[in-house]
Amino acid sequence: MEIDKSLVSGSMALLVMKLLEDGDKYGYQMIEELKRRSDDTFHLKAGTLYPLLHGLEEKGLVTAYEGEAAAGKPRRYYHLTKAGSAALREKEESWNTYARAVGRVLKGGACFG
Amino acid sequence: MAETIREYLDTVQEQIRWKRARPVVVRELEQHLADQRDAFLEEGTTPETAERMAVEEMGDPVTVGTELDRVHRPTPQWGLLAAVIALALLGGVLRVWLTASAAEYYENVDPFRTAVALALGTACLVGAYLLDYTWLVRHAAGVYIGALVLGALSLWLAPNINGASYYTRYVVLLYPTVYAVWLYHCRGKGWKGFFLAILGGVPLAAVGLLAPYSTGVLLLLLTGFVLLLTAAGTDWFGVGRGKTAAAAAGTAAAFIGSVAWMFWKHGLFQHRLLMLQHPELEPMSGGYQAMTVRKALSVSQWLGQGNWNEATYELTVPDWNHDFLLTTVVYKLGWLPFLLLVLAVAGLLLWLLRKCLRQRNQAGRLVALSVILTLGLQVVFSVLLNLGYVLFSVSVPLVSGNLHMAVTMGLIGLTLSVFREDSVARMYGTAHQPVSRIKLSFQKEENVQNGSHVLGISLIISRNGTKAAEDSSLS
Repeated sequence: MEIDKSLVSGSMALLVMKLLEDGDKYGYQMIEELKRRSDDTFHLKAGTLYPLLHGLEEKGLVTAYEGEAAAGKPRRYYHLTKAGSAALREKEESWNTYARAVGRVLKGGACFG
Repeated sequence: MAETIREYLDTVQEQIRWKRARPVVVRELEQHLADQRDAFLEEGTTPETAERMAVEEMGDPVTVGTELDRVHRPTPQWGLLAAVIALALLGGVLRVWLTASAAEYYENVDPFRTAVALALGTACLVGAYLLDYTWLVRHAAGVYIGALVLGALSLWLAPNINGASYYTRYVVLLYPTVYAVWLYHCRGKGWKGFFLAILGGVPLAAVGLLAPYSTGVLLLLLTGFVLLLTAAGTDWFGVGRGKTAAAAAGTAAAFIGSVAWMFWKHGLFQHRLLMLQHPELEPMSGGYQAMTVRKALSVSQWLGQGNWNEATYELTVPDWNHDFLLTTVVYKLGWLPFLLLVLAVAGLLLWLLRKCLRQRNQAGRLVALSVILTLGLQVVFSVLLNLGYVLFSVSVPLVSGNLHMAVTMGLIGLTLSVFREDSVARMYGTAHQPVSRIKLSFQKEENVQNGSHVLGISLIISRNGTKAAEDSSLS
């Protein structure tokens, strides 16, 4: 199913950081992993991912280092920093609050006084 | 529309205005495109189609390049540049103004020379600021050897004034930073790297000793050991933080201990200490400087010129126009201007230090720290000297000495280049590397076809975040 782009772009940083939570990855791995985990819903373009990652690096939320991938190929791995973990928790929390609220409205069960 | 990887990368590069950032940023995209192309090739497409599809998959090169251009920009350091030039200008004006009275004794600081030094210093500051400091780090061995050759040449060719090679002292002032570059070169090389790091300091110190320029050697030693201990904090050599710190501290203690013992044995230490406490015991020799300086300070006021009743101040206080320029500031202008001046220099250094500690790039932090420590130690020693605690002959950074000011401005320029290039320097893969970790994971998988459950156990040993070994068993 195609998802409206504006729905995705705001939460992309959250998804990218979440991918790094359980281990360091390089860009290509992250795109593959995101596709797999979202059952092909999120097809993140590499052209969007790298500027996003570099921006997160600039803010100190991730760091990068040169590592070796399969067959000894050098790749730039990204690592979630402590500040990144804290930002991720915060983003997750606000996302969950938002998602619950949307869910309640869609179900028609929300009551606005 | 780009059809090949090369065309695509060229278009992306054209959008990034900061030329120095281009190759490093694009390298990562190139690796990604290669991975994507290989994946398509495995699916059975032709090489041309695979490359075209990989390029399509990545998105519009102009948009990607523009986005990357927005992230990768040099960070201008206007505030710090202005502060350094303003302080150097203030120092120059003070030097010329306060020494003008001694023109008849040829002890005044020549305004023309000071103007030339200011111009030269500003050129050094801006030149070093625009310099790609990562080049120094990438050519560490060459920089190190070049610095030694420069030191040797200065020893050989420079005029000898007051028993010391005149220009060598200015070369030696650069050595703590050269050592920082050398230290970076030894990174990740195990114990061999640690010993190379220690040994690398010896020839640099030897040039300082041959000059002889003891203050320069002391600055190199103190800065060098602090840098070594800082490096130990990030497991610099890859032998463990604790071990590196212990080895660095042990070497520092052994070295400083043996030097101190040598001084003690020859009575030099005791003499210095005695002169520090009681300069009046040798009023005409060892204690002369301290005696006259303390006397000048004792007659100084909060604001305005002090009441010196004896022979001419300019002819009595030694080196009043250079190393003891701060004493002259106290005597001729008062304690308040002296305090403001020292606070201004200290404030600038603290500003630099704050920025330095925020650096995530290790090479950059090391280079910046070497400069800040060299300058900071000089400030401390020179303030002590000018308050009558005569330990070492030392100039006040940016305030005293024409050539000294130019060298100082060049060193600060290098530090500003580190702050300016923060964004691109990180791309060279010099950022913090996480330490090794072992992860044991259990995974339950359901086989849909026969309904059986499979339990997978995998042991992943990762070093620096990359998988080094993987072992899995099924039951």
